[in-house]
Amino acid sequence: MSFALKLGASALALTVAATASFAESRAEFWKNAAEPYQGVTIRGVTESSPPSLYIREVLAPEFEALTGIRVDVETTSWDQMFDKAIKDMEAGTGIYDMAYIEQDIIYSYLARGFLTDLTGYLADHPALKAPSYDEANFTTFADYFKDAEGNLYGVPMEAFLKVYLYRTDLFGDPDIQSAFKAQTGRDLVPAKTHAEYAEIAQFFTDYGKANDMDLWGTTAQAHTGHVASWYEYYESVAPTFGVYNWGIDPDNNYAASTANGGAMNGPEAVEAMTWWLSMRDIAPPESPASTWTEVGTTFGAGRAAQGLVYGENAGWIAADAEKSLVVGKVGVALPPLADGVLAEAESGDGYIGYYDGGAFGMPHSSKNKEATALFLQYIGQNEVQPNWAVAAPRVTNTATYEDPKVVAFNEELGGYYDLIKDKGYLFAGAPAYPFHAQVREATAPIFYQILLGDLAPQEGLDQMAAAAEATLSDLGYRK
Amino acid sequence: MQSKRLGWILLAPTLVILFFFGVLPFIYVVYVSFHSWNPFAVNPEMVFNGADNFRKIVFDSAFLNSVGVTVMFVFFAVLSELIIGYFLAQAFMRDFPGKAIFRTIHTLPLIMAPIIVGSVWKLMTTPSIGIIPHYLDEWFGISMNIGTSAPAAFATIVIMDIWHWTPLVTLTLIAALVSLPQDPFEQAQIDGAGKRQIFWHITLPMIAPAVVATVFIRLMDALRTVDEVWMLTGGGPGSATRFVGVHIFKEVFPKTNYGYGSTISVIVLYLTIVSCWLLYVTMLAPRSKKD
Repeated sequence: MSFALKLGASALALTVAATASFAESRAEFWKNAAEPYQGVTIRGVTESSPPSLYIREVLAPEFEALTGIRVDVETTSWDQMFDKAIKDMEAGTGIYDMAYIEQDIIYSYLARGFLTDLTGYLADHPALKAPSYDEANFTTFADYFKDAEGNLYGVPMEAFLKVYLYRTDLFGDPDIQSAFKAQTGRDLVPAKTHAEYAEIAQFFTDYGKANDMDLWGTTAQAHTGHVASWYEYYESVAPTFGVYNWGIDPDNNYAASTANGGAMNGPEAVEAMTWWLSMRDIAPPESPASTWTEVGTTFGAGRAAQGLVYGENAGWIAADAEKSLVVGKVGVALPPLADGVLAEAESGDGYIGYYDGGAFGMPHSSKNKEATALFLQYIGQNEVQPNWAVAAPRVTNTATYEDPKVVAFNEELGGYYDLIKDKGYLFAGAPAYPFHAQVREATAPIFYQILLGDLAPQEGLDQMAAAAEATLSDLGYRK
Repeated sequence: MQSKRLGWILLAPTLVILFFFGVLPFIYVVYVSFHSWNPFAVNPEMVFNGADNFRKIVFDSAFLNSVGVTVMFVFFAVLSELIIGYFLAQAFMRDFPGKAIFRTIHTLPLIMAPIIVGSVWKLMTTPSIGIIPHYLDEWFGISMNIGTSAPAAFATIVIMDIWHWTPLVTLTLIAALVSLPQDPFEQAQIDGAGKRQIFWHITLPMIAPAVVATVFIRLMDALRTVDEVWMLTGGGPGSATRFVGVHIFKEVFPKTNYGYGSTISVIVLYLTIVSCWLLYVTMLAPRSKKD
């Protein structure tokens, strides 16, 4: 055996031994740290979504085998989850040790002191601090779950962008390309402006009709009785016209109407609404009854050429052949934007769409904080992320992007992970409002009237701005 | 004396459970209804505001609209269920081939949870891809979209409720019809009474208590319908199917407006009691006097 070979073999043996010993020491940590909590059961409540199901089916049993701490994760509907978690935290009953915190409700929870400061808790209990857990491992999305002092209140477990999804097979079809060029005089590429988007949408809706196909030019999450439509407008459409934070100005006494300094009923908001309604009108007929779920289904069924789709659906649409008819035919891009919006987003003064996601937090009323702190760290480790990211497309740790499995999966997703990594900073979560659901519910009925045509966009937005201000006054935020 | 005490002892568990899970929560809801309370307000505490919530409710167009929509729904749904249920009960009183199978199939919707019923109907009525709009379009050229058409959404919910609950009415009326004595019918036939006369003067008065009991049950159920509507339309389009149950849900849960939501609940309970009382007075009380 040559010297080089011997050296190589020794290095390999050393690496394997070191890795094994490292893994063993890590496993040892979980075992030792969990020793006092053997037989404890911790309970969590979360939305029945792919990332949460992965926790219940994979991570919780793994953790239980490693530590002897039992983890019961209750997965339920979005509404039920909030209802159960809020009631438990409000009453301080301590039924749940973990609760899913959607990014848009964290500010309400923080305002009410519902959550445990995880940073502070681990600092106060150094014996529970896992060596493989570090808050610095998280992407910047974790910032949404921090307070003004930078303390973390939830371990991020899912993060998505609401992206502009388009059909690469249709956009790349030479016949369609030439027909589009002949009709519009430009190349068929993903739209950068609203006018371009509308032109493409109209083209494909006409194309579907002319060729007797079940194909339309755009999706529209335009349910006339569900808040999903409200969210599509305020999270994904209005910002692309330069209307941020729902048009409410928190620095100006929470003004919503233009008369008081807000932008909820300003010209940009009206333009955004008018444009969106015109897109809804050429979207598939199911659009007025579509929430985020049905929009995903519509796109996955191959009924739309392009659309704004939540990232949690983009994963299965692009890669799950059992559910989607457009596997391998999907590309992602930034949404169409009005002039100046990209510059505002790049400078941090605005944003171009919605950065969606959630975290697992520990209610202040938890009766098993030590065991819960261990589990939350367990699901926040870099090591558990890659398989999770492939099973349920979400990335919360920076290192996950570089994992070979995730890199390969990114190709299947049409570059979705690249978009999050490179352009995620242009998107934003919900505004930091503790009154999120209250203002949404106060204005949504008027919003539905606009969708139904009972109110013109300007008239409806005027009423919404007034309703928002009245609600904010009732709640005591607007003086 | 002994038997009275035994009676109370046997009743005690039920009364205790009723007190803790029925009476106490009701008292608490009444108490909260006199307060302003939203845990996500700047002041998250309960603040006594007298009868302000009750005053506000009188001018609350959203609430009044939801009451109107609910009353219409109750009227159409319960009346249809009663009529169809009666004819089905009469049919089941006779023998015909496949009766047992048909009766079993006809009863199946009853065992389905409302949330499942709502989901199934949502699948069937989703515009353009659901089986109902698909065939309405293909066979009759009718475009049905419950996302945009308020009448279509309302009618769909009424039909869904009829599909779900008519079997209950049928079963109750079968029980009532089976228990009727034959003598009055035979006498009426001997006297030459027609089918219509027999129905109005013998059958209906004799099954009236069962009819009223059934209407009570269905009325109370229909007034608090939430699950099916929530799944099917979410209260839309607009507020076309925002029944009081859905309205209360939205007020209490997403809006966390606990004080005002409790007020609406108390008022709706009051309206339910008044409706049942009116029904009783108009349908059964005159009969009791005659007896």
